[in-house]
Amino acid sequence: MTLTAVLIVAAALIGTGLYGALSQQSFVMLMMGLELILNGVLLAVIAFWSLGVGGPPRGQVLAIVVMAVMAVEMAVGFALVTAVFRRRQVDTTEKLGTLKE
Amino acid sequence: MTAIPLVFALLAAGIWFAAIAERFASARRFPSAIVLAPLWQAARLLSQQRVRTEYPDALNWALAPLVYGALAVAGLSVVPFAPGLVVAPLDTGIVLWGACEALTIVAVFLHGWSANSMLPLIGGYRFVAIGLPAMLLSMFVLIAAALPAQSLAVGAIVESQRSMWNMVRQPLGLPLFLLLGLAISLRGPMDYGDASDLSGGTAAEVSGPHRLAWGIARLAMLTAFAAMGASVFLGGYLGPWLPGPAWLALKTAALLLVLTWLGCNLARMPAPRMMAALWLVLLPLSFLDLVIAGVEALL
Amino acid sequence: MTAADLAFYVLSAIAVVSGWRVFRTDSMVRASFLLMLSFIAVAAIMLMLAAPYIGMATVFMMAVEMMVMALFMVMFMMNPAGLNPMNMVHQNRLSIGAGATAFVGLTVAVLFTDLPHEKVARQAPVIRDLGHELLGPSMLIFESAGVTLLAAMVASVVLSARSGRFGPSDEGSRPPGLEPGGEPAGRIPESEQEDE
Repeated sequence: MTLTAVLIVAAALIGTGLYGALSQQSFVMLMMGLELILNGVLLAVIAFWSLGVGGPPRGQVLAIVVMAVMAVEMAVGFALVTAVFRRRQVDTTEKLGTLKE
Repeated sequence: MTAIPLVFALLAAGIWFAAIAERFASARRFPSAIVLAPLWQAARLLSQQRVRTEYPDALNWALAPLVYGALAVAGLSVVPFAPGLVVAPLDTGIVLWGACEALTIVAVFLHGWSANSMLPLIGGYRFVAIGLPAMLLSMFVLIAAALPAQSLAVGAIVESQRSMWNMVRQPLGLPLFLLLGLAISLRGPMDYGDASDLSGGTAAEVSGPHRLAWGIARLAMLTAFAAMGASVFLGGYLGPWLPGPAWLALKTAALLLVLTWLGCNLARMPAPRMMAALWLVLLPLSFLDLVIAGVEALL
Repeated sequence: MTAADLAFYVLSAIAVVSGWRVFRTDSMVRASFLLMLSFIAVAAIMLMLAAPYIGMATVFMMAVEMMVMALFMVMFMMNPAGLNPMNMVHQNRLSIGAGATAFVGLTVAVLFTDLPHEKVARQAPVIRDLGHELLGPSMLIFESAGVTLLAAMVASVVLSARSGRFGPSDEGSRPPGLEPGGEPAGRIPESEQEDE
């Protein structure tokens, strides 16, 4: 288990997450893609700390920040979905065309 | 490695004991054949025909009882039987227990959802609504218990109770923890997943060996909760004269009796009112518990 | 190859494959629990990487989060039980290209970078160190994460509450006029725009 191997796994997770975030129509599935990207980031952060730089657990602090970001993304994301659904009864990104204007 | 057989022995004894205690608590008398009654029921269930629903998610349906039981075993693996006698001497024992509780909710939801039938699905949803705040609460209570020990390891928490049990030090802790045990193992006043008004809830469509496995898994979870509560709040293996594992077994049995008595004698509130009670009454109480623990740590 | 290496390969295969299946499965509930499986595999890798607290906290958090996600899926999707087949994908080819480019780009960057090789000591008291770090030198970071979460809670309540500031939000509430009895201020709701 080398740093390179773990980082490649993290890259695979980020790539898969990016595919999901761009390709899914449903808001909730789109957020799953974002979560998968953050999953890869979390793995990379911990791997860098554990196998790369060592020393005091600053890397874990960064991981905790990433987890907080995940929670914020979920909470605000679902609140936005709820708000949009209340106004327009839609749950896919295409139906939000008026936001382009 | 002697701890692994001890875990399974405790689980088997706990399941048997809880099954008998439950019969006794609901019958309010002591029928002569009560000791062997769980075995007869198990044999009857094993020979029963299996019910099938239309297009179930067969894999998850079969996995749910196994996952539920495995989580009980994983939770018990951090409980020490004597100083140093523990399957997984983790520094993060409490966190592992919390992760098991959180996954329990997923297991019960999957059990209700994968049957592809209405009543189990409603049971699954209701359980999630009640189970999530309940699980949150139990983590606060456990963190308060970890405070005097200055460690997240269950062994250190037990050792910190040599002078005084946590039940005395933090009087709110044990009642809240037991309530959550009832919620997570789907019992009595907190049984929102397998409730009788949904004709069995998540277990409405299961029969035969599957129902037996689900029942055993629920009793295993109850036993794991009793053992954890005994370790964190009643001093676990600490006690005079008897060896450590015996004290743990005695305290676990006492908590199992309390849990089954509560399960059979308290009425169930409607789910929305229970939600309000959990978020508005019990959650602040658990914060109060944290405050008490913090003030005691400062003094 | 040691047992740790084997475990790492198995776990990373689980993480990546279940992460990919999330977007190929029919059912929303299955998708969110596949994502949870991916997170649990990553958490197990983190346990092997000397980060036991973060690993277990990830399992804890993801189990709750994916449970909530499954509920929201069911709330907003057209098939409530989430057992019927469906496919809702757009700009598929572009997305595959972007995902593959990200993967290849990052992999090339990883392979051609001179990475540091300072490992964490085997017996280091990582959990104790983490606690001292969080409540010592890194307290500001930790507390800002906490305040951010509080802000997110307030924001999500404000956004999702039905009672808007000027009336129920699903009835297109609008603020009062700038002068007494005047036109309501703010954006005109879509439903009324079409009538004009």
